[in-house]
Amino acid sequence: MLKCRELVGKADQYLDGELLLRERLAIRVHILMCHHCRRYLRQMGALLRAFPHRHDSASDEEVCAVMEHLQQHADKQDEPA
Amino acid sequence: MEAETLSRLRSGEDGVFSELVREHHRALTALAATVVGVSEAEEVVQNAWLKAHGAIAGFEGRSAIRTWLSRIVINEARMQLRSRKREVFLEDQVSSEGQDPLGDWFNEDGRWRSPPVSWSYDSPEALLMGVDLSGCLDDLLARMPANQRSMLEMRDTSELPFDEICNTLTLSASNARVLLHRARAQVFKLVNHYQETGEC
Repeated sequence: MLKCRELVGKADQYLDGELLLRERLAIRVHILMCHHCRRYLRQMGALLRAFPHRHDSASDEEVCAVMEHLQQHADKQDEPA
Repeated sequence: MEAETLSRLRSGEDGVFSELVREHHRALTALAATVVGVSEAEEVVQNAWLKAHGAIAGFEGRSAIRTWLSRIVINEARMQLRSRKREVFLEDQVSSEGQDPLGDWFNEDGRWRSPPVSWSYDSPEALLMGVDLSGCLDDLLARMPANQRSMLEMRDTSELPFDEICNTLTLSASNARVLLHRARAQVFKLVNHYQETGEC
């Protein structure tokens, strides 16, 4: 029987879909009986879904700097040789 | 949503590219900083936007736009390092210090001593968005060893494939896995503490 500590050690690979069927089943059996581990997996899953949204949108100044850089590059390319 | 954005980008519709910049610029800058450092990250991302703008018509949408942009940033960052005759700076060995951050949550028999509290959040997307928590997370990432921070930015923020990250950082898969676990565990612990106490 998988121990809670071992489950947490494998949780990353479980959530990333990288475990073998046998290992996935061991985790599923464990979380049927252990609500702490069930909560850990659910909340770690939420955390991983949150990560790509962690950064704020860029400011107007940052967007303008990028767009101006693109424009300068395009202007240079349009210059006659 | 992404398919619609992509089709508008390909058709060269005004303003769509700047929307893309607005959405992804900060994440890409944080990603670049893990390879070239904060001081050169902005320059790398500016160059990456140029490349992306030129290549967007050929992007087939097989990966998410963020992943595609992240690959361009990583390539630009590596070119920048080569031009300066530097290498990706990472302690590629997993140090024995900083054992498992969640180690003290368990008893000797491997069962929970301090199980996580139940978190309250409207949606996973909003979980890390609170101003206080966001600041705490920035502080944690700044203190985190560079190799752990890189794994987190590349895998969890940019969603790059695991084997691609190992190649970029010249890490073995087992070391990369340990680094990612330690990084995620620290963030989990931070969020759990914040949920429990309202403080970092």
